Amino acid sequence: MNRVATIALLALGACGPLFAHDDGGHHGAGAMARPRGPILGATAAFDANGVLWAVHFDGPHLVVSRSNDLGRHWAAPTRVLAQPEPMDGGGDAKPNIAIGPAGEIFVTFTKPLSKPYTGEIRFARSTDGGHTFSPPRRVHADRQEITHRFDAMTVTRDGRLLVAWIDKRDLPAGGKAADYAGAAVYYAVSDDRGATFRGDYKVADHSCECCRIALLPREDGSVLGFWRHVFTPNVRDHALATIGTDGQTTGFRRATFDDWRVDVCPHHGPSIAADSRGTLHAAWFSGAPGKTGVYYGRLEPGRVAGQRRIGGETAEHADLAIIGDRIAIVWKEFDGKRSTLRALRSDDRGATFVESELAVTDAASDQPRVLTRDGRFYVFWNTRSQPLRVMAVQ
Amino acid sequence: MTAARTRRWRGFVAAVALLALANVGHAAPAGDVKPFDASSLAAIKTVYANRPFVLAFWSIHCAPCLEDMADWRAFRQRYPGVPILLVNTDTSDDGKRVAAALARHRPGNVDKWAFADEFTERVRYSIDRSWRGELPRTYFYDSQHHVDVVSGRLDRTWTDAWFSRVR
Repeated sequence: MNRVATIALLALGACGPLFAHDDGGHHGAGAMARPRGPILGATAAFDANGVLWAVHFDGPHLVVSRSNDLGRHWAAPTRVLAQPEPMDGGGDAKPNIAIGPAGEIFVTFTKPLSKPYTGEIRFARSTDGGHTFSPPRRVHADRQEITHRFDAMTVTRDGRLLVAWIDKRDLPAGGKAADYAGAAVYYAVSDDRGATFRGDYKVADHSCECCRIALLPREDGSVLGFWRHVFTPNVRDHALATIGTDGQTTGFRRATFDDWRVDVCPHHGPSIAADSRGTLHAAWFSGAPGKTGVYYGRLEPGRVAGQRRIGGETAEHADLAIIGDRIAIVWKEFDGKRSTLRALRSDDRGATFVESELAVTDAASDQPRVLTRDGRFYVFWNTRSQPLRVMAVQ
Repeated sequence: MTAARTRRWRGFVAAVALLALANVGHAAPAGDVKPFDASSLAAIKTVYANRPFVLAFWSIHCAPCLEDMADWRAFRQRYPGVPILLVNTDTSDDGKRVAAALARHRPGNVDKWAFADEFTERVRYSIDRSWRGELPRTYFYDSQHHVDVVSGRLDRTWTDAWFSRVR
């Protein structure tokens, strides 16, 4: 469909689902004008050769594209699924991509089921350099029609694949939501590069229900998990734990202390990375009254060091990465007309930062993600005006 | 902009908004959902000049939002003179899942809207520039359109006191 036709359809208030949900069915009275165009949720990862792989939507299809030149050119996309499935794709519920130890391309996404906020975590992989993908499969053993959503994925230092998600199986059967605060974080592990998974292992009870989970692989083969939690009675600050590929989680602790007491869905998950000395640096959002904002800080036992506000009144969705002692944080802000992508850079492990503006768009945009390659930082930002955009962070 | 042009513009906005809100207070067809964009709040305020109203944002992905639906039904019945506008924010979902959630959780005879602009920052900014997208998010406008903002689930006692005061 050309642009003029698209605009005309919008102007006429054409009814219809987004392509990714278009199953050919009829729309009820509730159907109404929705923006047409692929869902913007997209993520990207570099492989060992510096090739950038992105998972994104192309019309109704979840696809993977590759770029050999840092996003200046993208090869024709490959469909992950032979037939489109319903899937979440916006905000914190994006599809995810990771690269395996032998160059496998791993993709996860959440397939919504018929009841509200239920879903299934799905996985597909390519073992032939992105030419073809395996049929999608469910990651978790649990088959209930409940929440399994907000998938997160990482490859451990010893080459295993770990997928974590938000899970509501521990809510008492027939009980009210008030009987169990929030949801739980569960995970599964693949020892054979995505051929099979074992699990489901629990990380913790009482996570928040609707924020992305941050995963950080550690040198010993474990993974640090960092997520928005529900501390008694309803404090939506963040928790940290070491997730073992043996199914054991250790070292659970509270990691942020803004004391945001609310029953809310922030849709605003955190980001975490470690510096050369092992210090943990994080970015997160808090809506605590009087101190609402996006924050950076270093996660120390029982406290946050160097906590500072990121950006202005409209700052959103910060992401953070580290190379040695150098930190890059990116986020977006809206000024009434345009969204601006901004960055904070530190060369001294977070003691001092320099802020800069990276890009601007006057159209809808996805959350940005920071990537690293060959000692440099890059930002991946999917916008309606400039899809799959990649920028260096100086 | 001259005063005359401003008046004409306001008249146009009010006329458009009145058309959009023609079903307010009547039994709208179940699932009838109106498009909400960055110009909607201004139009709604014009229609409800000198009247209180509630603007409540929700998503099918937000469990607390769905838990509030029965409370909206109850407040609508108890205080029929105060319009309640429920606005769905799910731009990356089709209308079917929104309609299904409304049918399942039955907020009652409230006015139903949904984001019609995928540039959601622009829509949120038109309501409240400090809103980062957390849900539920509710704006209680009194008759002078002074607003109380609530993030998270309704506090029934506070909410009932508010309705009782402004009705």
